[in-house]
Amino acid sequence: MRVALPTILAGLFFGITPQGSYAQTTSTLPKSWNDAAAKLVDEVSAAMSPTSVTLDVENISSLDVSSAGSIAASVRAQLQRHSFSLAPENSAAAQTAVRLQLSLSESAADYVWVMQILNDQRDGTAVPVMIVAAPKGNFADLGADVQSLSLEKRFVWKQAERFLDFALWKEETSTEFTLLVLGTNRLTTYKPGGSLWQLARTSPLPQATPPSRDPQGTINLKEGKISLQGFECVGDPDLAGVLQCKASTAARNLRGPLVDSPGYPISLGAIVSEKCRGELISLYTAESDWTESDSIRGYLTKGIALPRVASGNPIEFDGPVTSLKAEPGTSAARAVVHNLKTGEYEAYIVTATCGN
Amino acid sequence: MLRRLAVISALLLVAFAALPARSARRPRYGGTLRVEMGASVATIDPDATAATPEEAAAKMQIDALIFDHRDADGAFAGTVGSGPFQVTSWEAGKRAVLAANEEFREGRPFVDGIEIVMGRGAPERLVDLELSKTDLAEIPPQDARRAAEQGVRVSVSPPDELLALVFVGHNPLRTPEGTRSGNAAGAAGGRASGRPIARATEEVMGQTLSLAIDRVAIVNFILQKTGEPAGGLLPQWLSGTAFLFPAGAPTAAELERAKELSKEIAAAGPLVLGYDSADPLEQSVAERIVVNAKEAGMAVRAQALPDAGNSRSTALQTAHVDARLVRWRMTSPLPREAFKSIPLGDDTNTPARLDAVPFPDPATPEDIYKQQRAVLSRFNVVPLVWLPQVYGLSARVRDWKAPGPGENWPLADVWLDAETPTGVQ
Repeated sequence: MRVALPTILAGLFFGITPQGSYAQTTSTLPKSWNDAAAKLVDEVSAAMSPTSVTLDVENISSLDVSSAGSIAASVRAQLQRHSFSLAPENSAAAQTAVRLQLSLSESAADYVWVMQILNDQRDGTAVPVMIVAAPKGNFADLGADVQSLSLEKRFVWKQAERFLDFALWKEETSTEFTLLVLGTNRLTTYKPGGSLWQLARTSPLPQATPPSRDPQGTINLKEGKISLQGFECVGDPDLAGVLQCKASTAARNLRGPLVDSPGYPISLGAIVSEKCRGELISLYTAESDWTESDSIRGYLTKGIALPRVASGNPIEFDGPVTSLKAEPGTSAARAVVHNLKTGEYEAYIVTATCGN
Repeated sequence: MLRRLAVISALLLVAFAALPARSARRPRYGGTLRVEMGASVATIDPDATAATPEEAAAKMQIDALIFDHRDADGAFAGTVGSGPFQVTSWEAGKRAVLAANEEFREGRPFVDGIEIVMGRGAPERLVDLELSKTDLAEIPPQDARRAAEQGVRVSVSPPDELLALVFVGHNPLRTPEGTRSGNAAGAAGGRASGRPIARATEEVMGQTLSLAIDRVAIVNFILQKTGEPAGGLLPQWLSGTAFLFPAGAPTAAELERAKELSKEIAAAGPLVLGYDSADPLEQSVAERIVVNAKEAGMAVRAQALPDAGNSRSTALQTAHVDARLVRWRMTSPLPREAFKSIPLGDDTNTPARLDAVPFPDPATPEDIYKQQRAVLSRFNVVPLVWLPQVYGLSARVRDWKAPGPGENWPLADVWLDAETPTGVQ
């Protein structure tokens, strides 16, 4: 699975998510949705001559009110483009207008938009039905964060195979990023190539025998090493080069000893390097399990052992966050998510920003 | 003092930041998972054929635990014990004990073992769940609400099992080996009156019942709101178009239309509706249909089919039914594949009829809608309700996810916690 590289890099530098064009707060729909709306109205136009119509919209999908409104607006615009006149509700013209019923539904795979041309007989079998599919997407979250801490997720990578950690790395002398993806038994290096990441190197990694059902691993760019279930690997000359691994008892328990910190969620967490109003920023996942959707929320605390306060809104994911690790020297963390809708594993950079 | 505090604070910060933090969500290894099944599995020989659909379904769950892979035809194969678990004790039809396979290629399961008790009836399973004598057991959908009220932790899948009324005269379920037959009712013994229903009459009967049956009441009262009224052949969550097939309570106009239609078929005599005598849900629904049909002026007689699960074809041949209730569980999460696997019979899905409506691959939601519309327009299949799969769980079961169509119980991923709160999952 590959993701358009310029989009990711643009997102990393300018804070634009790859899904930014799908933002629900704007009146502009994603192109695929606009295309679906246009196709639907094309079919209406093929089924009946331009006339006065009313459009009733019913949302029986998981689309939010704002998205449904944007889709309805797009369909109305398309109808007018096809020379249909929209009769105002409760007007005299509406009494004689043809009734169009737009149902925003969804299947397991797609959004399904259905247009029915209702006639006077109200005979269900006689109603012409037009159906189009519109792709589901992972769209930007709505709403501005009025709290002091706001979180932003930037999609970096996805693949069908499970991976444990990832890192975006740029040599000081280079302008190019390198993407490292730590799988359960190999480290894969990707380099920029055209608009996509190109596979540059695959380095096998030793595996514990038998393998763990709950494997863990970390890429530590600062120390130039990889820790993976009882092994520690260093690169020559760096992690993108040849790896040399040795058994490491210290690295067996990557979770480390359990620290009881009252008030914190009992879940994955990471303390990032930067502060907000002089307070420590920590990010925590929700207290669900691996069969459910998940979220990451920011917390502020004046000290490790002091009470923490949730700050800002959580950001949602379509599956459990299986790994959350602080990015050294930044206010960001690396998150690996198992998307339950697609079955794929996804990499995100989650950045905490201290707001007004 | 301040310097010391600063140093301690910095050390704590470094230590804490280096940890991904403690996590109750991280799975724990160990423990024995106790499972109860309704069916009794006679053998785990992959080549052996199960005597009943229930045994076949239970056998598939056990096979999925002890075999590593499936053949091209979907059957489990390979060496027993190559899967996530190995059989350490087997009492045919009664009890099985499985141990975690330490060398399983996908990693050792979290639990040390599984103890499966077979042949436990639904009431016994429910009591054992209430008393925490078992960790996992299937619950009939009509009992889900009561189980939750009794404090049982309940896991409900998306609805994936269709309960439908099917006219057997045009269905291979009526005849052995699915023999294609112009009117199998005649060949199989015919109606109570000795005469098979004419195709046209059957269509009117189906339309009458489709209009008259109160699916909402079936869901609300018989199923205690565990399920969905069904108008189409695929559930709404899968197709996105099920709402286009009416499944609400009959309106006055629909009931009036049903009465008009029933007059047209009055001379055909009562319709005999068969149901599995071992299935309390089918019995309740059949009795409800009799009442609904009577309200529309149509005579329907419900008839229990003894041992229908063991020898369905034989039972149907001797039972002289015109239609029967059929439960069909989806085998694929893909709409096109799921639709194609519906055992509606050759006559319903005649090649000519299907050819009349193109069914491309991949199929769009519109293609699948048109296919359903084509089949349902003949009224020899009347969808009634969509049922979910319901499971009762003990409080300590974690990472359980109700399997979807075509999936097996994810017992290799399940782990056992010390204590967790109860509630509906």
